[in-house]
Amino acid sequence: MNIFTRGILLILCLVSGLSYAQQTPNRISGFYPGVPFERFMEKIEEETTYRFFFKESDIKDLTVNLQANNDKLEDVLSQIFLPTDLKFSISKTGEVFISKGQKLTVDFPDSFFAQNEENQSEGMTSAQDEFVRNRRYVIGVPSGEGTTAKIRGQVLSLENSKPIQGAIVYDKITQAQTITNPEGRYELTVPKGNQTILIQNIGGYTEQRLVTIQGDGELNMSIGEGVFSLSEVVVRSGALTNISRPEMGVQSLSVQQMRKLPSVMGEVDILKGILTMPGVNTAGEASVGFNVRGGAADQNLILYDQNTLFNPSHLFGFFSSVNSDMVQGVELYKAGIPANLGGRLSSVLQVTPKLGRTDKIGGSGGIGPLTSRLSVEGPIGSKTTFIVGARMTYSDWLLDYLEDKADIGASRAFFADFNGTIQHQLNEKNILRFTGYYSEDEFQFDPDTVYSYSNQNFALSWTHYFNDQVEATFSAGQDGYDFQVQGEDNPLNSYRYNFDIRQRFVKAQFRQEKGDRHIFSYGIHSIWYDLNPGEIAPFGAESIVIPDDVAAEKALETSLFFGDEFEINEKLTVTGGLRYNLYGYFGPQTLPEYAPGQPNLPENIIGEKNYASGELAKSYHGPEFRFSGRYALTNWSSIKGGVNTMRQNIHLMSNSSVMTPTDTWKLSDPFIKPQRGIQYGLGYFHNLKNNSVEFSAEVYYRTMENLLDYRSGAKIVLNDRIEQDVLVTKGKAYGLELFLRKSTGKLNGSVAYTYSRSLMQTDPSEQKEQINRSEWYPSNFDQPHNANLVLNYELSRRINTTLAAKYSTGRPVTLPVAKFEYGGSERVYFGDRNSVRIPDYFRLDFSVNLEGNHKVKKTAHGSWSFGVYNVLGRDNPYSVYYIPEEGTLQGYKLSIFAEPIPFVTYNFRF
Amino acid sequence: MRSYFFVVGGFFMMLQGCRELYNPEVFAENLGILVVEGYLDTEGNPSQLKISRTVPLSYDSIASPESGALVALSSDSGESFQLQEISPGLYQFEKDIDEESRYRLEIVLSNGDRYESLELKPIRTPEILEAGFVKDEDGVEIFVNTQGNEQADDFLWTYDETWIFRPYTQVGYIFDPMINDVRDRKEVEQIYTCYKTEPNPGILLESSSRFQDQVVFRQTITEIPTGNERLQARYSILISQMAIPSDAVAFWETLKRNTEDIGSIFSPLPSLISGNIVSVDGDKQVVGQVNLGVVRQHRLYIDREEISPWPYSNEIFFGCVVGPEPILIGTIEIFQYFGSGAYLPAQAFMGDGPVPAPGILGYYPTEVRCGDCTLYADITKPDFWEDE
Repeated sequence: MNIFTRGILLILCLVSGLSYAQQTPNRISGFYPGVPFERFMEKIEEETTYRFFFKESDIKDLTVNLQANNDKLEDVLSQIFLPTDLKFSISKTGEVFISKGQKLTVDFPDSFFAQNEENQSEGMTSAQDEFVRNRRYVIGVPSGEGTTAKIRGQVLSLENSKPIQGAIVYDKITQAQTITNPEGRYELTVPKGNQTILIQNIGGYTEQRLVTIQGDGELNMSIGEGVFSLSEVVVRSGALTNISRPEMGVQSLSVQQMRKLPSVMGEVDILKGILTMPGVNTAGEASVGFNVRGGAADQNLILYDQNTLFNPSHLFGFFSSVNSDMVQGVELYKAGIPANLGGRLSSVLQVTPKLGRTDKIGGSGGIGPLTSRLSVEGPIGSKTTFIVGARMTYSDWLLDYLEDKADIGASRAFFADFNGTIQHQLNEKNILRFTGYYSEDEFQFDPDTVYSYSNQNFALSWTHYFNDQVEATFSAGQDGYDFQVQGEDNPLNSYRYNFDIRQRFVKAQFRQEKGDRHIFSYGIHSIWYDLNPGEIAPFGAESIVIPDDVAAEKALETSLFFGDEFEINEKLTVTGGLRYNLYGYFGPQTLPEYAPGQPNLPENIIGEKNYASGELAKSYHGPEFRFSGRYALTNWSSIKGGVNTMRQNIHLMSNSSVMTPTDTWKLSDPFIKPQRGIQYGLGYFHNLKNNSVEFSAEVYYRTMENLLDYRSGAKIVLNDRIEQDVLVTKGKAYGLELFLRKSTGKLNGSVAYTYSRSLMQTDPSEQKEQINRSEWYPSNFDQPHNANLVLNYELSRRINTTLAAKYSTGRPVTLPVAKFEYGGSERVYFGDRNSVRIPDYFRLDFSVNLEGNHKVKKTAHGSWSFGVYNVLGRDNPYSVYYIPEEGTLQGYKLSIFAEPIPFVTYNFRF
Repeated sequence: MRSYFFVVGGFFMMLQGCRELYNPEVFAENLGILVVEGYLDTEGNPSQLKISRTVPLSYDSIASPESGALVALSSDSGESFQLQEISPGLYQFEKDIDEESRYRLEIVLSNGDRYESLELKPIRTPEILEAGFVKDEDGVEIFVNTQGNEQADDFLWTYDETWIFRPYTQVGYIFDPMINDVRDRKEVEQIYTCYKTEPNPGILLESSSRFQDQVVFRQTITEIPTGNERLQARYSILISQMAIPSDAVAFWETLKRNTEDIGSIFSPLPSLISGNIVSVDGDKQVVGQVNLGVVRQHRLYIDREEISPWPYSNEIFFGCVVGPEPILIGTIEIFQYFGSGAYLPAQAFMGDGPVPAPGILGYYPTEVRCGDCTLYADITKPDFWEDE
């Protein structure tokens, strides 16, 4: 270990030494603790080729208070002049003009000598131009018709020339705006004349372009992607999209934002980032499953590009299974789910994988005490890009080391994941993409029993642009998940238990612009399910365990969808969608027939019916409606309303309070009906201070049908007839979500408060058992009050500190209310389901991110991230339970992270 | 390197979790829910039904027997068999009844509340094919083999353990106040061999249909860790095997899970216990599972020689010695040591010369706690006990 650590330190020193040896000319570095501006200018003139021109009286009392690290002069001056009304202009030859009030024009517009040129593009060379922001572009050919013109183009990353998706392009005056698509393309209608076009990249710096609009034309832009950002926010949905997009309840998070959040063991975790958003909660720390607006963990659809991840966690839930280096960003739909997505009741978490960069081969990675990751990306020829990544844990050395120090038994844990994306541009109109994902986990708490599980996903998609208005994506792929438990306690009873699910899907999705005011999206999505609900087999030659299995399940689910985003007028935009879901449960299958009107119990079986292979045993179908609308009150505020219905045909069978690796999935069958839900929402959105402060308030109410709860003593593993143990249950949830975010300034961050309830009720018609006498009872994750605070303070551009706090009401548990003697031992009698709460949860985390220097041309860019998880060391209880000890009953509370846990990780990219 | 250490510590904490004592609010309300337990033997062997009530969690004792109830087993052919209360809350049944009939247990409490069981069908439990033990490095494992059949698929086992408990040393002499002196200890006065009995607290369940030909092979009944006091001399275990219907399995599994399985990270949620006893007049809660059938029993003995070597030392005898100095006959110390009852005359002192003295010169003393087994166990040999 010693040698290993020293080796790394040595390499790090070498790398950083190399990078310090380079110095880009005309960049500003140095520490200026309150020096007069004049002195500052002298220093700059000494070190660079810049020359200043100014009126002495303008700058008399100005002092400079900052630390610069290889920064651009524009950025530094903008920062210094922020509290004043001073303006500056920099000429191509390095003359800096400082003026009061009005900015001086120092260069001719570039197009001065190239009149009537139709297209303006910034090539890689001009992107490096220091003056690109202050240069004036002329777009289009002058034409007398109309007062507006349409500009279109592509937004690329300055660092790696990759298209930037989700950047907002808007006009400063009219606030007309649009969002770039996955290829970075945009189209915007603006008034003719001199305009300022602003480009806001989520998590990045707002760039500007000065344009003179003469007619329709093209403007391509390369913008920085956050490396140079002064004003980065930790968690945000795009500031302007907040008030303008018609859907509500949508939250986005970029990887840059996630990186700043303190994490367990320093591993950037997309799911933990999601948990800082209002309306998202988790039942326990050791659980990656999350609950959205009072829904169960299995009601979230987790999509990695087009693929469904059945188990999003590693290491019994301490890490999420997606390598953050391979992710562009995540978007969580709590409501307002577009019609092209569906299949789960509560939410859709869309994880957008990164695409390979187009300029050169590069990569990134990280080294932590438990895990390491590495990804490589780049172009293959001019048309193809790739990105591949791997992540692995080596925690066993730690466990070995600990074994001598403490009694941790024979615990073992291992995980790894691999993923990759290849994109090939066939021609201008056709793009092919292949995405693959594989993860593996193995752990054991004692030497005899090994648990393992694995996700396997791949998909191929083809995007075709028919014309300017119509594009389509066709995709096909497979999602797989399986787990195994291998018990070798005794050779005679050794067994192997396994579960697996495969779903194959095809999807065709069209996007069509109709005139200026409609955007249609429509298509078809089919999934063929192949599920093995559980199988036990003897393991080893001596074993006398009888093989047993639950019959495999097969089903086909097809959804047709149509959605329209309709801009009725400037103020009112609505989106509507219809998704029609058809579901069929197919043989081969043998199903019992229960006496009509009788509960599904063994004594009521009156017959049996066999279904041949491919024979339809049961079908369900029904529509799902998605509707939301936005009414803009002013440029800075809007109200939104929405209602949507969802259907879910696949259910997670779990009798414990959290999602566990050995939970199995079950398809809807003649007895287990699809879960259905409807959600109503209303929201008010307001931005203040030039969009730097966002506020939103949302209320929602939802009802759910055909949820699953279980009879007392229900057995879920290897249960042939689970319907005999399932109780038909209804659910309802309602809440208020308040969110305030400041996205600029040295001190920025967000506060979220959620009040929510999530209740369940055994259907009064249920004859098997009625939980709590069929009264409404809190669900396992009903935590009414929930607050999140993220504070981010930028000490300098390279040092960034983050403080995160989380509070929530303790989750409900079922506790014993009496005791008695039975079977020779003391037993407990449990009270009503979920009638007591464990103590409230409160946690404070702190992290510091230390960036390397910001030179563009150095070979590798490194950053350190360290911090403490649970700074206060509060032993937040995860669970409360009673066990008999020496004849008496003792209550215990179990906390998982009861101590402050420090972490350190080194991240790099090249 | 310092940070590595902290990280290591953090991960350790993470795996271990952190368990703390926790007693949130005292559930002081006395619900007094009726609890009924019993497996009644249909072949006329005495078997008991226990009726009690739940007590609040804060109570020290869990004994709350329900006395004075009228309990009867009635058959579908109209016969009725009364159960006799033999001690508070314990009702005995001792009748050879027809195993083909259907029965119902009726309970009328002294306060008039009426309860009854669902229909009971006697199950003829198959015999225990073999009961035995194996020794490995961890200790001794006691097992049974049996075979289920169509009628008897699910099994429940209970066991009672009895073993010889010996003190640190044998005491050969006794201080007799009648003669005011130490004399030889008679056989009936022995305090060297006692019998310790413990009922088993666990529930053992197994379903024979999991195995080929319904053979339950080597079902572990209990495991005795190496060096345990149970096998210090001779040990006996009475294994009772009862076949139970599947609804009883659900009841016992719930009971077991609610008590034994709760507490690990992935534990299931506790569930409501009910059973096959219901309140006749309506809505009274009751916990209880009563079954009818044949109880098959097998008693097994294990001697220490059979599992030798068995390194045994008991920490309650820490510091015990015989001696070191003998207490001489005729001295005042005889009364001080042995007459007071603080010490026991363990061994005779025959002088320390090369030739033993013709008579006893004195006695080596030992503390009472080192020589008297009755402090720890019962001196009376149980009726069933068979010596080798």
